[in-house]
Amino acid sequence: MTSTLERPPAPSGPPPAPGQTPTRSARAEGWVRRAPLLPALVFTIIVTQIPFLLTIFYSLQSWNLVRPGSQQFVWFDNYVSVFQDSQFRGVALNTVIMTLGSVLIAVVLGLVLALLLNRHFIGRGIVRTLLVTPFLITPVAAALLWKTTLLDPTYGLINFVLSPFGVGEEAWISDFPLASVMVALIWQWTPFMMLLLLAGLQSMPTDQIEAARMDGAGAWAIFRELTLPHLRRFIELGTVLGAIYLVNTFDAVYMITQGGPGTASANLPFYIYQRAFLGFDIGQSAAMGVVVVVMTIIVATFALRLVFRSFGAAEGSN
Amino acid sequence: MAEVVFDEASRIYTPGATPAVDKLSLTVNDGELVVLVGPSGSGKSTALRMLAGLEPIDAGHLRIDGRDVVDVASKDRDIAMVFQSYALYPSKTVRDNMAFPLKMRGMDKAEQTKRVNEAAEILGLTEYLDRKPKALSGGQRQRVAMGRAIVREPRVFLMDEPLSNLDAKMRVQTRAQIAGLQNRLDVTTVYVTHDQVEAMTMGDRVAVLRDGKLQQYATPSELYDRPVNAFVAGFIGSPAMNLMDLRRSGDGVSLGGSTVPLTREVADAAGSAETVTVGVRPEDLSLTSDGDGIKAVVDVVEELGSESYLYAHMAEHPDTTLVVRGPGRTSVRYGETIGVRVDPDAIHAFDASSGERLAA
Ligand SMILES: Nc1ncnc2c1ncn2[C@@H]1O[C@H](COP(=O)(O)OP(=O)(O)OP(=O)(O)O)[C@@H](O)[C@H]1O
Ligand SMILES: [Mg+2]
Repeated sequence: MTSTLERPPAPSGPPPAPGQTPTRSARAEGWVRRAPLLPALVFTIIVTQIPFLLTIFYSLQSWNLVRPGSQQFVWFDNYVSVFQDSQFRGVALNTVIMTLGSVLIAVVLGLVLALLLNRHFIGRGIVRTLLVTPFLITPVAAALLWKTTLLDPTYGLINFVLSPFGVGEEAWISDFPLASVMVALIWQWTPFMMLLLLAGLQSMPTDQIEAARMDGAGAWAIFRELTLPHLRRFIELGTVLGAIYLVNTFDAVYMITQGGPGTASANLPFYIYQRAFLGFDIGQSAAMGVVVVVMTIIVATFALRLVFRSFGAAEGSN
Repeated sequence: MAEVVFDEASRIYTPGATPAVDKLSLTVNDGELVVLVGPSGSGKSTALRMLAGLEPIDAGHLRIDGRDVVDVASKDRDIAMVFQSYALYPSKTVRDNMAFPLKMRGMDKAEQTKRVNEAAEILGLTEYLDRKPKALSGGQRQRVAMGRAIVREPRVFLMDEPLSNLDAKMRVQTRAQIAGLQNRLDVTTVYVTHDQVEAMTMGDRVAVLRDGKLQQYATPSELYDRPVNAFVAGFIGSPAMNLMDLRRSGDGVSLGGSTVPLTREVADAAGSAETVTVGVRPEDLSLTSDGDGIKAVVDVVEELGSESYLYAHMAEHPDTTLVVRGPGRTSVRYGETIGVRVDPDAIHAFDASSGERLAA
């Protein structure tokens, strides 16, 4: 991120031309290399960093759009009330459950499917294509599909399929709101994990598996002792990428449950949206936004470091 | 401790194509080190993998200690293999790599540790036990692969070109180590290589393969002295035997203007054939001091210190080339004409069309 931009120019340029000091030419060299990136950088700063600074500024004010003229500077009052808000804590917990739960279940399902697809069977190409499709559907459309076509208490296919077993009248979305949202997310993200893990499986050297077979290992022992350690970095990568993406989930919550009942299925992005655009409390929601961004950056930094370390370390082995 | 018998065993990768291994029949005695050798693509690895259980046996039988193992999974055959790539487990330390086969057999921890330490001692790996394979040199990895094979005292060892990733000096060293270790452990071993020097120096017996077919299975000295066909004759020995298609003339064959006599049996076996493939090893050709004998023009002189090899072509038939072994310090130079004499008793004669050896 920004740290890469602050790094001093690499001292690997061509030897300095006569009459120029080495540092100046190296610096010029560095700028020549950086210049093409500048427009993108400026654009990124305009659309991300300036709004963020504005958000920080708003978060220090008491400002509710419903009460015009109430805007005033209150320092960290908003942050204090954010941390005292039990709803905020509940929603934060929902976010953790929704993000980690969906990602982990998607990884496990993706692993199972990847192991199946890694074998030869008739029609493998078709099965693979079918399994990938959920990932290609627009998230809003997917959420709508789950809400109306599958989980609807009256017309839903799930109830239709389950009716012979006597579960025909279940109102899934109102009885299990968080789980309903998660099911849609898992359904969309399992193919991603599957593809990632399939790539991992196919990069595994066959001679190691053959050696293990000769060493007396059965299928389960090979999986536990060799396949899983080999897949570890792929699992980590999938988990981190999935979590970074899913922590921002808005569409599925908005479409399926609107965060309800109450805030039972709301996550942080949706809750902040509610507070800002339905409650018009700019100061409070800006403070929440800042808290979420800071926490996300902390978690993401550690997670990304983990991934880079295991991939960096693995490079040396092959 | 086991006797391995290939009984007309075949492996056919694609139905209709020529088999990768074609009706291989071969017996490896208990404790013997047998080398499979042949040019690239001759089916050596395939034969070894059939024995390992990594390739199915499409026809014929394979017996270990009298028991047909065609339908036995490789993990139940009690065979250990050293792969060309070593196939070490990258996520495990050297210790865990070597202990893996023991762990898979449910051996108790103390016994595992004892065996791994013993093997590490033999192979000089003690100080590397806690490293991961990627932190080892090629030679050390090779020894770990060996260690993983010997810890569990299998019935049969298999090795597929285990030395091909080592430099020339390490190769010679490790070759001797492996042969010594095999002798000491007295485990039946099948060793694959494409290098005939390795085959000759290591094998109790050597099986020469070509296009999936067994050409000859014999001790190294017998292979050298009595190759059964022109292919084996040309493959075994370095530099290779001189093989020439020569015209019959009277009781012998004509070579560079003079006649080289053939023995009675060879002449009888050749019958009325007009040409015979004659093989002479470089050391069975000698330089005449006075330039008598067959005239040849030197193309290349290879001086090895203790001996030298002269690569030459016949003065009268520039298409026929010869390699002659000369003394260590030779005065012969490029472009000179030399006289060569053939030792008539050392001649190998083969049928010109089938390549089979003439006379026993
Ligand atoms: N998986 C496979 N599918 C089809 N044909 C194969 C397969 N593996 C090997 N072959 C063929 O079988 C023949 C024997 O191959 P093999 O690997 O046993 O040769 P090799 O003697 O070990 O050669 P090298 O010295 O190059 O290792 C070759 O013609 C090869 O093309
Ligand atoms: Mg091979």
